[in-house]
Amino acid sequence: MSIFEYNGSAIVAMAGKECVAIGSDLRFGVQLQTLATDYKKIYKIHDQLFLGLAGLGTDAETLSQRFAFKHNLYRLREERDIKPSAFGQMVSATLYERRFGPYFCQPVIAGLEPDGTPYLCGMDSIGAQETAKDFMVAGTATDSLLGICESLWRPDLGPEELFETVSQALLSGQDRDCLAGWGAVVYVITKDKVIARTLKGRMD
Amino acid sequence: MAQAGGFSFDLCKRNEFLEARGMKGPGFTKTGTTIAGVIFKDGVVLGADTRSTAGTTVADKNCEKIHYIAPNIYCCGAGTAADTENVTGMVASQLELHRYATGTQSRVITAMTLLKSHLFRYQGHVSAALVLGGVDFRGPHLFTVYPHGSTDSLPFCTMGSGSLNAMAVFEAGYKDDMSKEEAMELVARAIRSGVMNDLGSGSNVDLCIISKEGVEYKRNHEYLQGKTYERQFPQRFAAGSVPVVRERVYDIRKAVTVVEGEPMEMES
Amino acid sequence: MEPGGMAQHDFLSQPVSMGTTIMAASYDGGVVMGADSRTSTGTYIANRATDKITPLTDSIYICRSGSAADTQNLSRYVQWFLEQHGMELGDEPEVKTAAKLAQMMAYQNKNFLQAGLIVAGWDKHEGGSVYAIPLGGTLVKTPFTIGGSGSAYIYGLCDKLWRPNMTEEECRAFVVKAVSHAMARDGSSGGCIRTVTISKDGVKRTFTPGDQVPVAAGELPPPQRAVPAQV
Repeated sequence: MSIFEYNGSAIVAMAGKECVAIGSDLRFGVQLQTLATDYKKIYKIHDQLFLGLAGLGTDAETLSQRFAFKHNLYRLREERDIKPSAFGQMVSATLYERRFGPYFCQPVIAGLEPDGTPYLCGMDSIGAQETAKDFMVAGTATDSLLGICESLWRPDLGPEELFETVSQALLSGQDRDCLAGWGAVVYVITKDKVIARTLKGRMD
Repeated sequence: MAQAGGFSFDLCKRNEFLEARGMKGPGFTKTGTTIAGVIFKDGVVLGADTRSTAGTTVADKNCEKIHYIAPNIYCCGAGTAADTENVTGMVASQLELHRYATGTQSRVITAMTLLKSHLFRYQGHVSAALVLGGVDFRGPHLFTVYPHGSTDSLPFCTMGSGSLNAMAVFEAGYKDDMSKEEAMELVARAIRSGVMNDLGSGSNVDLCIISKEGVEYKRNHEYLQGKTYERQFPQRFAAGSVPVVRERVYDIRKAVTVVEGEPMEMES
Repeated sequence: MEPGGMAQHDFLSQPVSMGTTIMAASYDGGVVMGADSRTSTGTYIANRATDKITPLTDSIYICRSGSAADTQNLSRYVQWFLEQHGMELGDEPEVKTAAKLAQMMAYQNKNFLQAGLIVAGWDKHEGGSVYAIPLGGTLVKTPFTIGGSGSAYIYGLCDKLWRPNMTEEECRAFVVKAVSHAMARDGSSGGCIRTVTISKDGVKRTFTPGDQVPVAAGELPPPQRAVPAQV
């Protein structure tokens, strides 16, 4: 078994017109045993920047705390929030430092740059960055998520339509994965508000 | 937390333990690649495909494999994506500092030596296979750098899983002292043969032409693989088509008030 | 590609190695070094025009066989040590110094290296001299030596043909003949033949392109080229 399949996760992020959305499933399990159904894999870095961590839960927890710590130090030094693109570089550097003993996590970064343009980026567990203008997926359901996103995504979606698209993709994608599911959470980030919605999904 | 830099090995023991318990380690994003380079009359042409893979899945359909090293030097990378990205980035920053210290243009052989030293030190564990090209005061240079730290200097070279396809095209079509257009066509043809015949390579052709006059970075010089299928009636979801259990909206507008101050009395 | 995914090209993961024929022979007044030009990774020829005869100083060269990465980087270290040594000495380093330096590197790191070396050159104290440094890191001074995978095929030939006090031309002809016979029998050697001749008059290089390499018994002659290769 792959170490990425120990806990199970599904993460999707999509870019819209001056907005981005990122969502994850809510299951936390140990192999085939489900332990919790309210476990979010999305972490808020600041108002305009969210980080999804798929993979081994313990490493996701550790990494999210390290990134929160690093962002606190950044804010003390610079007296401002970090730009999503700079944050992407930092995550990449942090993961590549462990090139020969990696954290078993695949991050997805979604945020709005200061000028309001969406920023999306994903990585493998040793920090090989992959920026996308459309969508980014990670976790155990990538195979099914990739296909549905390829089909549903359109350029210049507004916040509400983007939410529906991400949600549809996430729910139908994770239904084909035993290790992810049990509802979902989706964050839509726009210039002046963040909308967090919890979705009802199949409970099997 | 603060450390000087370099790799950290603190998770190796744990990961080794997990692997001993039957956990398979992660697969990394690789660039099963076709990259190539040719020296022509007054410079070099570098070329690359744009596919990156994770296992058998295409991870990125249009990634960039021609990396910046210096204003007059670029480098194509194949192998583990994170390694090619970081090793070229490290050399680029070392050369930038070297230029600030010496005030001279970077030499291709310096970049080559830095790359091979790093790769040799890690004995092939940093898996970056590179085609390095550039022009300095000695003229055009082209090198291949292997993951174990060996280098070759040749007038035409290829790397990656599609290197055999590309090399076949080069062996058939290479001439000394080609014009820029001839060289571009030859490299594009070599990459195309990798894109079409090697499963690990795909999508588009990137070119980078370096001569004494400057650099032309032709991103997606040939856009071979656009989306062939576009939905005629795209799926539009009406608001409320997804079952929302709970909604929270956070107002994140920054409230900024400007307070005018009174000028302060200064004692003389 | 990932292992277990699509078919893995073995040459991409294998270290680049020089299944080689290298040799050096002394003559009256200097040395001739010779090598084929093939570098392979598994069954793929990564470079068919390799230069395996690398300068250490102006008048001392090294023939490399084994892992390309190991021998290239070892040679760089020896070059660097000799550069410093030459400055301290205020004179050209001796061949035996260069050979000892290469031998020390090869011996002290023998568990990590795969390097079969031949150091040869000319200095004013001993004239031309040839040193063999085989895999374990021994240092042997000999009148002539052969190395690499192709050398196994030409021991008898070289024992028969080499004699002391050859002229420069005779010695070079001997080297080219020996290497060509090794290339004919050894699958890991091939391509062109490079020689380096070092004497008190300096360094001369020759290059024999693939279609002008002497034909061994049973081989077909090479096809005629439209444009003759430049020698």
